[in-house]
Amino acid sequence: MAVAEPYVPDPLGPARRFFRSPQSGPRLSGSLRSSLRDTNRAAWYAGGLFTALTVLAVAGPALAPHSPLVPAGAAFTPPGHGGFLLGSDSIGRDELSRVLYGIRTSWFSALGVIASGVLIGGLVGLLAGAAGGWLDEVLMRLTDAFLALPGPVLAIAVVAALGPSLLHTLVAVGIVWWPFYARIVRGEVRSLAARPHLEAARLSGASRWSLMTRHLLPGAAPAIVVTASLDVGNLILTLAGLSFLGLGSPAPAPELGAMAARNLSYLLQSWWVPIMPAIAIFMLAFLSNMTGDFLRDALRDT
Amino acid sequence: MNPLTFAARRLGAALIILLILIATMFTLSHLSNTDPAHAYLGAGASKAAVAAERVKLGLNLPITTQFLHYVGNLLHGNLGVSYRTRNPVTQDLAEYLPATMELAFYAIILALLLGLALGIATAARWRGARILKFVMVSGASAPLFLLALLGILLFYGHLGWLPATGRTSIPNPPTGPTGFLTIDAILAGRFNVLLNALQHLIMPATVLAIGPAVSIGRVLRGSLVTVLREDYVRTARSKGLRDRAVLLRHALRNALGPALSMTGLQAGLLLAGDVVVEQIFAWPGIGYYAAQSIPVGDFPAISGVTLVLGLFYVLINALVDILQRVADPRVRA
Repeated sequence: MAVAEPYVPDPLGPARRFFRSPQSGPRLSGSLRSSLRDTNRAAWYAGGLFTALTVLAVAGPALAPHSPLVPAGAAFTPPGHGGFLLGSDSIGRDELSRVLYGIRTSWFSALGVIASGVLIGGLVGLLAGAAGGWLDEVLMRLTDAFLALPGPVLAIAVVAALGPSLLHTLVAVGIVWWPFYARIVRGEVRSLAARPHLEAARLSGASRWSLMTRHLLPGAAPAIVVTASLDVGNLILTLAGLSFLGLGSPAPAPELGAMAARNLSYLLQSWWVPIMPAIAIFMLAFLSNMTGDFLRDALRDT
Repeated sequence: MNPLTFAARRLGAALIILLILIATMFTLSHLSNTDPAHAYLGAGASKAAVAAERVKLGLNLPITTQFLHYVGNLLHGNLGVSYRTRNPVTQDLAEYLPATMELAFYAIILALLLGLALGIATAARWRGARILKFVMVSGASAPLFLLALLGILLFYGHLGWLPATGRTSIPNPPTGPTGFLTIDAILAGRFNVLLNALQHLIMPATVLAIGPAVSIGRVLRGSLVTVLREDYVRTARSKGLRDRAVLLRHALRNALGPALSMTGLQAGLLLAGDVVVEQIFAWPGIGYYAAQSIPVGDFPAISGVTLVLGLFYVLINALVDILQRVADPRVRA
């Protein structure tokens, strides 16, 4: 039954069409149309927020009024005084500039770890789900064992063994982060494999490789994207916690978690020095959680 | 499956997971860029002394033998010697563990209660539900140290209501038999210590509990909403029960399962956050011990803390699974 679909401007159209069952597709009732508009708006919000955060992370250093490492005025200047919007720290460096640099590190670190988690986990999950049999059994048992361990605690031990540095922190968190994605991708792939269009592709003689890359992977993509976007906030907080414990870059580097930790002793006399970086992390995590929520609403089956 | 068989199987799985944890820690100790022999003897040690120390520590043996020794030592409660305190790690842990247990215990209870309240409040139909959901997203986005710093700033610095550091400010608090200061104080009949210890607990326990509480609340809300759509709920409503009675007496019981599983999983988050919180509040627990060990690269100490926290996490989750099996016949299928 081929009926022309009514035109609705929709950036996520392909993803949604993928999900839509043939029966409900062509007939758009009034309420469905308005819910489509809602998912549309959610998609634009998610895209907008994500772009805004990335632009802030890229352009942050250019926006910074001072150097993040060199003192620019009197120490402990309160916010809004002496040209320091967020105040100055214990040796007179501009908090705003340091926070802007820190946001860049936090944002791209989180995205990097998510990407590695999706890549490794996706590969393991895809292999396990598509191959089945003993390979599936072995890979998933391994995944479950890692999922059953407290990831952040394990990450602390990994960085402590490798020696504190930002790179080691990212590696450690990457190591404990992938099993979650392996589980999700494998689940998606297994449920997709039972669907008729996969059966049809198999019958038409598609190779294993093309089944995986053409049919299974695109099918699992929406679930991965939603999960990953809901996970960015978590990851920002975890990385900030490790940085707070002194597992990130060494001293003068403007890292948000470490900035809060190193200035803990100034809390009662100059609250802004440790609090401003903590608020920056809160904002980053909050906005990424909102992005994830919007994206989930946008990609929810219509 | 018989609940007992299930319990045995679940504990067997937990044991395998612990073995994997032990193997991971063993691998990490070999990846570590600090040579234990150098760390114990100091930078000025002679080559001969370092070589002798390596033999003493068994570092010259084949790697498989070393692993067996490592596991054997663990089973005998021997976690090595801390580079920093020069004490056996087991001894240090025994000293710091009770404080962490007490803090984690109250934090988990608090997280469960807060989570229940949040879940019920957001599932119920009332005007505040929307605002509450917004508050929950904020709570889930706040780094622990922001909550801790704001708490100290407000309740200690500004209002002076709560103490900011340590377990108690009363000299010579009772020690033993449980290690929980609040319980020991009751047993010793010293109620001023009990009150003081509780005051010290409020802030760190609340800060630790907020993140897990939000997660528990979200899961509970989800399962409550599903349960509220079921037929028996409609029956309960149509026989004239009030919304509150339906929600609390009929729906809650059946919706509790996922929330309890979440509590077990959140224990892991709580244990990781514990290290940060104990450092900020100078709480003398194993998290504080770990935080002090990180800057000096004291791997035996950090590995000991990781093993203990991992053990707790795995056991708590096995226990939650088994309890759920016993409590909810539907999971047995």
